Amino acid sequence: MITLRGEHNDTVTLRIIDTDVHIQDDPQIWAPYCDMPWRKALEQVEGIPGFSLGPHLDPTFPGGMALRRDVHTPAQLRKELDELGIDTGIIFPNYLLALSMLPHREFAAAIARAYNAWLIDNWLGEENGLKGCLAAAPQDPIDAARQIERYGQEKNVVAVFLPCAGVHPYYGDRAYDPIYAAAQDLGLPVVLHSVSVVHPVFPFNLHEFDTNLARHALSHPLSIFANIVSMITSGVPVRFPNLKIACSEAGISWVPFLMWRLDKEYLQHRIEVPYLQDKPSTYIKQFYFCTQPIEEPNDAKQLVDLMRFFDGENHVMFASDWPHPDFDHPNKVLQLPLSIEGKRKIMGENAVRFFNLGHR
Amino acid sequence: MSMVRQHVVGKVGDIAEGTCLLVSVDGREIGVFNIRGKYYALPNICIHQSGPLCRGIVSGTVIANAGTHWEFQWAFDGEVVTCPWHGLEFNITTGQCLAFSHRRLRAYQVLVESDRIILAV
Repeated sequence: MITLRGEHNDTVTLRIIDTDVHIQDDPQIWAPYCDMPWRKALEQVEGIPGFSLGPHLDPTFPGGMALRRDVHTPAQLRKELDELGIDTGIIFPNYLLALSMLPHREFAAAIARAYNAWLIDNWLGEENGLKGCLAAAPQDPIDAARQIERYGQEKNVVAVFLPCAGVHPYYGDRAYDPIYAAAQDLGLPVVLHSVSVVHPVFPFNLHEFDTNLARHALSHPLSIFANIVSMITSGVPVRFPNLKIACSEAGISWVPFLMWRLDKEYLQHRIEVPYLQDKPSTYIKQFYFCTQPIEEPNDAKQLVDLMRFFDGENHVMFASDWPHPDFDHPNKVLQLPLSIEGKRKIMGENAVRFFNLGHR
Repeated sequence: MSMVRQHVVGKVGDIAEGTCLLVSVDGREIGVFNIRGKYYALPNICIHQSGPLCRGIVSGTVIANAGTHWEFQWAFDGEVVTCPWHGLEFNITTGQCLAFSHRRLRAYQVLVESDRIILAV
């Protein structure tokens, strides 16, 4: 809970829901949940081969950049979220952010199954404000759909995580329809979440860039661009009208650009996308957008102005990305010049609606 | 108008070289640093998202400018504190933020008198 001074000098208490927190999912920890023969494979490796959280060829810059922060237990996560004033945290993985990079279909699906079983068993058992997402292995959408059917109604399971790093084909492909059908049937939303990697699939073909600044700046939003464009052009929001879709860790300021750009293209190319009954921005406005990394213009009002173009007050959800080095403190979003009602929605109520937290 | 008051925060030797002592003065958290035997003090609140700046690692940084012929150079060795939250760097001796030329933290005065470290706030 965070308490604010209200518009009439009264005291207002807001429920803070954080739509993106990360736990450390070392493969050895959930290996016992993995089917053979992959369990044996995981016991024998340090990390998953070819499964990196970033290019390991970069220089380590000297200086005072803090050591890595990781969250290892539910008690640790609960304590740290309490310190940030966060009531509810939606859990995402660390290692499995790159699940979509794995070339081997059976291996990827087995890893997703093991992570889901481990997550439910170890992190989601209590009524302590920790909620989780089922990892969907895009390499095997049929198996991912089975996972959704199996675990979709488990306590504290609130969404399906669609990993975007290096994903091929993009999430508009018909191959993923079973995932969307299963999620829609259970009323589970899906969340697109990327991670910085270097990989041949656009926009991860970032080998031109020799800084993490450049690769990180481009990979997250452009990966979301690619997948939204793919989903819109294959009519996902039309074919699955009750499927709720969110985009995480890409910021929010680009949303108007993408809406207007696609609307312009649509004027000329509608015949290629006959599923759409209206211009693309109509559907993009139905998406939800997580704040982190929230843009920080000198004049914060400029960001609030941009949000008006896509009804951000009703479609933006606070995310911290704790404990990653680019996490946002809730105060950074609370400081935006929004009405108390707008803050209440963005810091919590929109997430209650998106993740169906009211009755879970 | 507020008066500057002097607060004894410790004795010489209490703060090892290259480290910081966090003190609370008039409700303000302040970090008192020992940089090569000289003392400096900065607020323990980062200008970015209010992170606990003075709990950061004290080290140096990398610069590149016309003076270095645009080559990387190690600089300000032992004079830079990096915010543990997001990595914003500050020169402890001046309060200067390395990322924004126009942003500078308030650097409090620190005196040493008869072996006592005195913070003027």
